[in-house]
Amino acid sequence: MSDKVLVIGGGISGITAAVEAAEAGMESVIVERNPSLGGRVAQLYKYFPKLCPPYCGLEINYRRIRQNPKISYYTLSEVESVSGSEGNFTAAVKINPRYVNEKCTNCSDCAAACPVERSNDYNYGMNSTKAIYLPHDLAFPMSYVLDKNACNNGCQACADACQYGAIDLNMEAKSVEVDAASIVVATGWDPYDAAKIENLNFASIPNVITNVMMERLAAPNGPTKGKIKRPSDGKEVKNIAFAQCAGSRDENNLAYCSAICCMASLKQATYLRDTDPESKAEIFYIDLRAPGKYEDFLRRLQEDENVTLTKGKVAKIEEDAATGDPVVTVEDVLGGGKIEKQFDLVVLAAGMEPAAKSGNLSLNISFEEHGFVDGDRLDAGITVCGVARRPDDVTTSVQDATGAALKSKQVAARAIQTAGGK
Amino acid sequence: MADESVEKGEETAGADAPKAGETEPESAVSTADPGVGPAEKTESGEAGATPEAAETGPAGGDAIPARVIQPDVRFVRDVINAGGSDLKKCYQCATCSVACNITPDDTPFPRKEMQWAQWGLKEKLTGSPDIWLCHQCNDCTAQCPRDAKPGTVMQAIAKMTIANYSISSIAKAVGSAKTFVLMALLPVIIIMAAIGIQGHFSNVPRGGNGAIVYSEFMNVYRAIDPIFTIFFVIAAVLLILGGRRYWNDMLRNHVSEGGAAPEKGFFGNLWPTVTEFLAHKRFRKCDETRDRANSHLLVFYAFVGLLLTTAWAGLYMDVIHRESPFPMYDPIKILANISAAAGIIGITMVLIYKFTHAGKIGRGSYYDWWLIGTIYVLLLTGIGSELLREANTAVFAYPVYSLHLMTVLFLFIYAPFSKMAHMVYRMVALVFARATGRDLGVE
Repeated sequence: MSDKVLVIGGGISGITAAVEAAEAGMESVIVERNPSLGGRVAQLYKYFPKLCPPYCGLEINYRRIRQNPKISYYTLSEVESVSGSEGNFTAAVKINPRYVNEKCTNCSDCAAACPVERSNDYNYGMNSTKAIYLPHDLAFPMSYVLDKNACNNGCQACADACQYGAIDLNMEAKSVEVDAASIVVATGWDPYDAAKIENLNFASIPNVITNVMMERLAAPNGPTKGKIKRPSDGKEVKNIAFAQCAGSRDENNLAYCSAICCMASLKQATYLRDTDPESKAEIFYIDLRAPGKYEDFLRRLQEDENVTLTKGKVAKIEEDAATGDPVVTVEDVLGGGKIEKQFDLVVLAAGMEPAAKSGNLSLNISFEEHGFVDGDRLDAGITVCGVARRPDDVTTSVQDATGAALKSKQVAARAIQTAGGK
Repeated sequence: MADESVEKGEETAGADAPKAGETEPESAVSTADPGVGPAEKTESGEAGATPEAAETGPAGGDAIPARVIQPDVRFVRDVINAGGSDLKKCYQCATCSVACNITPDDTPFPRKEMQWAQWGLKEKLTGSPDIWLCHQCNDCTAQCPRDAKPGTVMQAIAKMTIANYSISSIAKAVGSAKTFVLMALLPVIIIMAAIGIQGHFSNVPRGGNGAIVYSEFMNVYRAIDPIFTIFFVIAAVLLILGGRRYWNDMLRNHVSEGGAAPEKGFFGNLWPTVTEFLAHKRFRKCDETRDRANSHLLVFYAFVGLLLTTAWAGLYMDVIHRESPFPMYDPIKILANISAAAGIIGITMVLIYKFTHAGKIGRGSYYDWWLIGTIYVLLLTGIGSELLREANTAVFAYPVYSLHLMTVLFLFIYAPFSKMAHMVYRMVALVFARATGRDLGVE
């Protein structure tokens, strides 16, 4: 009788569920769509509660995975179908080719030889990588991967350059079957497509970016090596605005609150303030949500006289043609009057959309009205955790994932009991 | 503390919208004092200033005295029932004020109106120029993230302003589809009586060569002039009185908020406002409903043209004693026909637009359709009378002409109580805004 748990999604929630379950004695298997584990957390510069870089949390988890023989993982993989029921699931997993095998030493000779570039999704398209690339310097597994869609036809420059025989351009997709007693859905989120928020002109004004892009701009391994420079002309940002609820709590976009954007903007204001004492930040909000102990963090920013908190939603952004500066229009609800203000950079505090939607997850599960997995209406043996369930911060997602591990343990125990009773 | 009143308000603002009708618990009604008349309500007008004063509380610090807001719960319910059923969905994000292209920058609307309406601050709303500076572009409604329909709420408040400054029981009856037949009965009876008294039900007089002559059917001097003059004068008096009261209420609110009384009063600012209005520049600033600039312009000029025609006809008949019908080449006839055509084109554009661009804005309320329908029937029967007279088909011509008279009378009688009154209140608001420098730069 298998006590294995299949974890769909290898972000912070999925990793946590798998590691916690394995450390409680179960076997766990992670199926991750991307070439590396780590998910959205790996794309942050710093995260709550301690404002440390994601290296600390992820490195610890990677070590737990490496040291625990009960944990296995598939990257570049998708669950294609699931059959069976609680205690007895069988999942067909498709493993897409990496074109790079375990002989890879990350020497980067292949990338140096590669003639083409691709948009770097890790940096939300703000720079590019070669077609063969290391996902990022926190990649796990630490191995190059080839984006064959970006390759020139018939090109094998990388394979020729590799002295370890690590590149196999003929690698093909494989399918494996995974038997599992329980399943944890930890498919996480995608940033909301800010181009859909028509009045904010994200698509047409280069110096209007999203909050996830801001994380990359501030990160030392980001496109600007941690210097907060704006996209249009590389000018260092001295005066930044944050537009809260950009597309959130909005019937025309995401009707719900994504729960994290307020704290994210407050945090991102410190990215600029901590590095440049002259810099100014202004946060335009409807309501500021700083739950629990985060109130202290809010207070810290309120006390900073170079940080202004203005009640009123940014409902229009235009571009000043001469400078490329975004100009925001807001009704200053407390101060009175409609104001226009010019900034070096405007960050849209856009929300989170569930990555798993009906149709792209091969599991028979229900979704609630906003597209998150409805945890109350799942078949026995299936659990959901993290942002796949509801918008939440890292801390809460980790706690949720630990709970999911316990649920899986219960399923396995029940299954073993049933089998033993027969 | 000041914070308390803010919290109280946000409770109303933040809560998910209850269904129309079931707003606050009845007990809250007792906090409003129905016995206090408008004149004595200066105090509550002051209380009305509280939201703004209190709002600065949390950010600004001490020094702000606590004030009690007395919500007029009945007013809140009335706004909801008058079409603002989504009022309580508003969570005060202020997208609407930014979306609006014709709002003054210093006192933007309609965000504050949404809050005042949620809080039941009737005096602040009915005595606010902003209610009528709003031209129903509905850009706010299109962009509202909560689908609270600020444009519709503004219109509901405007409708209540008309009731407030006329006779509210009649205004309510005019605004309700249920009482339409009853309302329509009055002009029907008057016109029928006039026909009956002249004995023209059975013995319809004809002109020289057997032609249809409407002025024989309804004698201009003994029937048309007295009936229409009486009701025109009543309507004009009611509208002028209402407009005056509106002006005074605006002035009182303006001064109580620390504004200076305007140097030049209503008449000193009337002419520049009229000239601005003639070009319909504000309508053209609408994004969602930009086409309304042209349709409204056509209907507006049609009414001006028909008013001139009427005056001109009076001149012909009473002063130089030229009898109608006037020949088609006569300038009066040309002006009348052009005006009628412009009116029909304009109102048809309104109609088409209502159906093709409904979307989030909706197709409008009974209140809108009352006016659109009345104007339509008025213009169609007017043109119909003319054509049927030319075709000499008496059996249709006289009934259609009678219906035309009834419709004109219907519009005259109910003008002060219906959307037709918008011409006065909007003009008064525009003049007031100019006089007080409220919306400098908007026009």
